[in-house]
Amino acid sequence: MTKSPTITFPDMTRRGLGALPWIAAAGVLAYAFFVGGYLTTVMSFALIYVVFVTGLNVFMGYAGQVSFGHNAFAALSGYTSAYLTTSHGFAPLPAFGAGLALALSCALIVGYPTLRLKGHYLAMATLAIGLIVYEVAVEWTSVTQGYMGISGIPPIGIAGYEITSERGQLAFLTVIVALATLVSWRIRESRFGRALSAVAGSEDAARALGISASRYKLSAFLASAAFAALAGSLFVHVVGFVSPEVYGLHMVVLAFTMLYVGGIGTIAGPFVGAVIISLLPEMFRQFKDYQDLAYGAALILLLIYAPRGLSTISSLFRRAAAKKAVVS
Amino acid sequence: MDLSYLPQIALSGIGIGCIYGLIGIGFCVIYNASGIVNFAQGAFVMLGGMITHTMLHRYGVPMIASAAIAIAAVSLAGIVIERVVVRPLWNRNATMFVMILATLAAQIVIERSTLIVAGDQPRTLPAFTDLPPMMLGGLAVSYQFLWIVAASLATVAALALFFKTTLVGKAMRACAINREAAALQGIPVSRMLALSFALSAALGAIAGILITPTQYTAFNVGVPFAINGFIAAIVGGFGRPLGAFVGGIMLGLAQAIAIVVFGAGFKNVAALSVLLLFLFVRPSGIFGSAK
Repeated sequence: MTKSPTITFPDMTRRGLGALPWIAAAGVLAYAFFVGGYLTTVMSFALIYVVFVTGLNVFMGYAGQVSFGHNAFAALSGYTSAYLTTSHGFAPLPAFGAGLALALSCALIVGYPTLRLKGHYLAMATLAIGLIVYEVAVEWTSVTQGYMGISGIPPIGIAGYEITSERGQLAFLTVIVALATLVSWRIRESRFGRALSAVAGSEDAARALGISASRYKLSAFLASAAFAALAGSLFVHVVGFVSPEVYGLHMVVLAFTMLYVGGIGTIAGPFVGAVIISLLPEMFRQFKDYQDLAYGAALILLLIYAPRGLSTISSLFRRAAAKKAVVS
Repeated sequence: MDLSYLPQIALSGIGIGCIYGLIGIGFCVIYNASGIVNFAQGAFVMLGGMITHTMLHRYGVPMIASAAIAIAAVSLAGIVIERVVVRPLWNRNATMFVMILATLAAQIVIERSTLIVAGDQPRTLPAFTDLPPMMLGGLAVSYQFLWIVAASLATVAALALFFKTTLVGKAMRACAINREAAALQGIPVSRMLALSFALSAALGAIAGILITPTQYTAFNVGVPFAINGFIAAIVGGFGRPLGAFVGGIMLGLAQAIAIVVFGAGFKNVAALSVLLLFLFVRPSGIFGSAK
């Protein structure tokens, strides 16, 4: 019963279902673009988170590692962008370059000793890195202004041309997200990506095949830190303000919820998850106090009942179909 | 830099260190029974203080009874977390990381529920013995400090006795050594998991009740306590309850010194740096890992 020759119709349905999350999320994006207004702002946030979660997905989904501390790299780059553009008159692009360099060098320095750890040691070490950067952002008031935050950050702009309109920003972010998703897809399909999935499966087996597990883990860590840095800098330019709370533990939990809702390890997952999770609070605006409560509860339910997320709806369908086929 | 008040600071470091130690033991108890690291540990500390405060001030229950009710209620909360969050994942053979994430989510759910029910106002409890501090050779020793140290030591002693002498305690230790072998001996391993959550929650609640008179409690105090408790457990060698207690006191002292040298704002950075140092250089802790 394992080989079934008549799969054409269910196969079509399955493909349709597989594309459904993509289409729905892209539809919302297009709608926001044409309607404008508040929804544009919501979608801009969602797209920034797509970049962050895409990075996290490379490290956690592809390479099978754990990081509770990628907010640190977003914070490093975001604060560098904010500080250099407001206090030293840098243009956004060179400021981002500096932020990215800082984030990547920090990732390299902490990545080497951290990635030797496994299990809850790895989880806790990365959590500590995120919390240390948060505490420093709060305490180092001469640069970060502490809880007050840095305001008056200029919008994104290249070579003197600034993108100030909300629609322009949304279009710019859409291009960035498309590129990020493309890069994530190319990573997964490359030799590098296959090596990562070998490491995710079993480090010992990967090593036996001649894959240097530690080097690939570090590369994946750096790649995901670069995505996080980009998201961090995009945030400060789109909002024009930054404070430590932006990059707090809340960011980590939100990103994890998005990754799990969308489907960890999938290409569409970050996009689908970030759009859904960003829209939910807008639909339930009157229950603002219950937001984090709902995130937490939803995350627990997802982890228990649908640990592979909504992007894999088609494979759920396939499994159900396979079960039916076995029964009949 | 003024070092004259270093002994005074060190004393308060020992006090808070005992609290970290109790929370660290809580981590070890669950870890030994199941191999799970419960990141909702901080919620128990917060609930311990909050429930005692509610009993004492809203219902006028005497202090000792309030504390007892709080400890019982928090133990129950531990069992609920085990049944609702941990057990379903455990039955599905969830990975360690999923378990961490789920317990962290449980922490957030408890935190937010407390915010909705009790509001965001910080509360504090009256000192257990309301007398001015004793002066011992220029050192001011508050009665709450003595309470913390004495109650922590008593709790640790009671726990040691429980693990050494009672049948249930011995069964839990058997699970820690080898779960499958324990199951073959007829020990109900899954009931031990629930029991370890109750025990660990009670330890958290005791810690929360003891520390609240010297600080304050609010819906969001849990995570820092959990992190410091985890650091205490790592420093002492994960899975070693006594090591965790010693590790807690050492962490409290290290934090106290960091406050003197770098200022109060950097005490969390100091604690987290201690954690990273241990993880990178000696992840098995000062006494060596239990496994």
